[in-house]
Amino acid sequence: MVSRKVSRRRFVAGTTAVSTALVAAPFVRGAYAAGKLTLGLWDHWVPGANKTSEALIREWADKEKVEVTIDYITSQGNKLLLTIAAEAQAKSGHDMLSMAHWLPARYPDQLVAMNDIVEPLIKQNGAPNGTVEYLGKVNGKWLGVPCTIGSQIKGPCSRIDLMKQHAGIDVQAMYPVGAPPKADGWTLDAFLKAAEACQKANHPFGIGLGTTSDSVDTAGAFFHSFGAELVNAKGDITVKSDNVRKALDYCKRLTGFLPEDAPSWDDASNNKWLVSGRGALIMNPPSAWAVAKRDAPKVAEQCWSHGFPSGPAGRFAPYIPFFWNVWTFSKNASAAKSLLVHLSSRTSAEKLVVASGGYDLPAWEKFTDFKTWAEEAPPKGTLYHYPNPYNHQKLSIAASPAPHKIAEQIYTQGIMPQMIVRHHKGEAMEKTLDWASREIEGFMRN
Amino acid sequence: MADAAVATASDRAASRPRYGSMSRDRRWALRWSYFFLILFAIFFLTPPIYMFITSLKTSAEISAESNPWWVYNPTLSNYIELLTQNTYLTFFRNSAIVSVITVVITMTISVIAAFALARMRFWGSATLATGVFLTYLIPETLLFIPLFKMFAWVNETFGIQLMNNWWTMLILYPTLTVPFATWIMIGYFASIPKELDEAALIDGATWMQTLTKIFIPVALPGIIAATIFTFTVSWAQFLYPLAFTTSTTELVLPVGIITTLIKGDVFNWGQIMTGALLGAAPPLIIYAFLMDYYIAGLTAGATKG
Amino acid sequence: MADIAARGPAAVTGDSRSGLHKLMQRKSTIAFLMALPLIVLILSLVAYPAGYAIYLAMLNKGMTRFVGLGNFDFLFGRETFWMVVYQSCLFAITAVIFKAIIGFVVAHFVHNIPSKGQRKWRGMLLVPWVIPPAMSTLAWLWLFDPSYSAFNWILANFGIDRVPWLGETGWARFSVILVNVWIGAPFFMIMYLAALKSVPEQLYEAASIDGATWWQRIWYVTLPMMRNIIAITALFSLIVTFANFDIVRVLTKGDPLNTTHVFATWAFRVGIESGDIPLGSAVSLFMVPILAVAATFILRDISKRGSEV
Repeated sequence: MVSRKVSRRRFVAGTTAVSTALVAAPFVRGAYAAGKLTLGLWDHWVPGANKTSEALIREWADKEKVEVTIDYITSQGNKLLLTIAAEAQAKSGHDMLSMAHWLPARYPDQLVAMNDIVEPLIKQNGAPNGTVEYLGKVNGKWLGVPCTIGSQIKGPCSRIDLMKQHAGIDVQAMYPVGAPPKADGWTLDAFLKAAEACQKANHPFGIGLGTTSDSVDTAGAFFHSFGAELVNAKGDITVKSDNVRKALDYCKRLTGFLPEDAPSWDDASNNKWLVSGRGALIMNPPSAWAVAKRDAPKVAEQCWSHGFPSGPAGRFAPYIPFFWNVWTFSKNASAAKSLLVHLSSRTSAEKLVVASGGYDLPAWEKFTDFKTWAEEAPPKGTLYHYPNPYNHQKLSIAASPAPHKIAEQIYTQGIMPQMIVRHHKGEAMEKTLDWASREIEGFMRN
Repeated sequence: MADAAVATASDRAASRPRYGSMSRDRRWALRWSYFFLILFAIFFLTPPIYMFITSLKTSAEISAESNPWWVYNPTLSNYIELLTQNTYLTFFRNSAIVSVITVVITMTISVIAAFALARMRFWGSATLATGVFLTYLIPETLLFIPLFKMFAWVNETFGIQLMNNWWTMLILYPTLTVPFATWIMIGYFASIPKELDEAALIDGATWMQTLTKIFIPVALPGIIAATIFTFTVSWAQFLYPLAFTTSTTELVLPVGIITTLIKGDVFNWGQIMTGALLGAAPPLIIYAFLMDYYIAGLTAGATKG
Repeated sequence: MADIAARGPAAVTGDSRSGLHKLMQRKSTIAFLMALPLIVLILSLVAYPAGYAIYLAMLNKGMTRFVGLGNFDFLFGRETFWMVVYQSCLFAITAVIFKAIIGFVVAHFVHNIPSKGQRKWRGMLLVPWVIPPAMSTLAWLWLFDPSYSAFNWILANFGIDRVPWLGETGWARFSVILVNVWIGAPFFMIMYLAALKSVPEQLYEAASIDGATWWQRIWYVTLPMMRNIIAITALFSLIVTFANFDIVRVLTKGDPLNTTHVFATWAFRVGIESGDIPLGSAVSLFMVPILAVAATFILRDISKRGSEV
């Protein structure tokens, strides 16, 4: 949450060329009358990443003569969420905020439509993945611009040595650098066997079953792999279906091989599990690997980010998009849009990706081939498959394709991990399903 | 044992048995007391000590699988890094300003009001006294969302932006401190003999003079207790600043530490513990010096109320 | 007294003033003006938002329609709600009882040792209460960490299996209560210690002469004398504990399976995280009547006792 003022006088000489060439900026720039803009961005955990985004924004601000104030807001403790809720209620605050997954759809009437810039951007950068569209476009209205900063895939990050030694799986061979994955054998069954083997060797997979986002995302991807929907796109409760039963049964068996306190893990627990050298695999974007690089280099050298195992319904990986959103109460929406076009260019996106050490994933189709992912090390190529370069897995979010207001509650209240824990603790399958459908009935309120 | 008690009973001056005549029982009681006190001290002090240990470690050592209770490579880098960072010093300054001004506001409001409620009585004063107590029953978790709406209204009507400003805390914190402080002060004032103020009034003193010249000096321990209480509450408040402030220039210490040192799913434990320890220092110092007043004032006020 | 008071200022200033001025001179007017800042503060920043919260609690999820008691009706049908009620009561009551017992016991031990050492012990034992809870709870979170728990490290040295401090319902409830007791017990200790010091020594002497054991002395002398302060301290602690937010929020966020949620954290989850602000307000509102009942009982008890003595 570092707050800095970018004064219009501090013009940085010799800034790199801005690629505004392709998209016509809708913002008409006046001499000095461009006014003020306050931004609330996700506070990036990578040291220096905030500086890069600030420099990019300043570059634009100097050119357009806009006075910009940036607040970097942490997502920890839901500070960012609380800020968004507060500003929605108070109808004042930042002009532009970055919002993750469900939030834009929570305030469809309070956000400025972005169709006029998103549609040209799609032509320029390629279409964003389906999850981005599901979350960002409501009734044909784009509620925000897909944001590079913070968007992430929470796929597996495995220990090369432990997986080889205990489970007999060579993750580097499955996901080779510079080549498409050879992962046909990487199925949920193989995953379960590996989990068992690693647990026997005292290096259990570190998958949380709490109600925070990491746990929910992973459970959601497993459910998708079985085609299990708790609520379908029309809003009907479909908890009691065979696919849900299969998914639940699988997750229950998997839970037996996870650490026993997994039901209370939060988003930081799996990172620590990997960094401490205890875990053979976690489901996380590369932040855990990056911390290991700093604090436990020996662990980091053995980490490999790769794809999700495939299930009967396909191969799904959890994807968490962030959006840049402008409130309707903002007095300078046109300036904000001009800035967003600037931030969505290929050069800007690449700078952000580089600054985040490959963590941030631009949503646009044509932006999955930056050099950073191939080059990040150690070990070299550890992130090559992180951005899903071969479209080898479907990017998804838990609780989709349910209508947003229902899906959001399924997600934030962690219904799927809770079902898994209940069933694992010995509750009968049907009782767990009964419980889940009762909970979900409660989400149908409007 | 009874003998010993009788022996001491004859000695009214000593409040407890003299050591010379201490019986075996008494000595054992003392030993047990120390034994249990040490046990409880371990329980009470483990977390702060562990905070201190962690604050001296590098992040690599924190992540290592070594003895967590020992520092192999002590370093002051966490302290240096925090104390040379402008943001951390800003949090500290905000916290200090907010807490001190809140104390002043709270004590002014509550001492005057408590005097009016305890001594002067007016229509509805008894109800108000109960009402003051009842406000204590309303948790701030209930209030912060309506406050968002109220702030929006203030912004639209008067153009005053209350969101994301540290001084908004000066308006909000007194709601948490004034009821308790008033309650303590009512109790304390009630314990002062009526003859004192009656005499003063007969001598022609005004009500304000009676308050400043007689009540405040007599009730000083209570005032100090309420002051310390107010300071502690303001210093430790978490939810309101979390809900109402965002920019680093506006944050107070507890929220600042949690929101700037924890990023996403990455915790900087060394710095968090350092920041927490430094943040705990001001109230610790105040208690070290003023604890006796605090105890005296708090008990007198609370029991007689 | 009222007579004297009413005449007091008037006698000094003389009577030849306007009606308004006389009104201003009246005792009750002055008193009202003196209490005015307090009244304004409470009305504008507590009573009004509390009323607003009641109004919010009667809206539908989208805050577009008035639904009366619909939200409450909905809550009564939710099993999670009843679990939160149960857990909140369990959390608050258990924590307050343990705080009271530990506070009482420690106060006794401190009272037992020679006076010159007492200050030092008192100071040490007060530390948990002085550290801002948001900070100290983080230290506990770190002590309970699944991968790095320093407690589990000690246990492992004794050959004991790692304890899932926050991972299983039983342990997680134990842990959140433990942290709450840790923060709150010193306050009880200080209050009880002061109360112990105010018990006249003669009473103990008389009891000893009658041949009372130490237990009888505590039961018949100390406890009755401390009755008021025990009740008051317990009441205040109950209020604060019941409304607690930070400890559960930081340590478990309600996990596992929502079994550690208390009213405040569940209201946050429902209202802020899941975007159902009216329902969140309705959940928070439940704290108020429960607390008010507790407060009335304890306060009535005190005043009854007070008039007997």
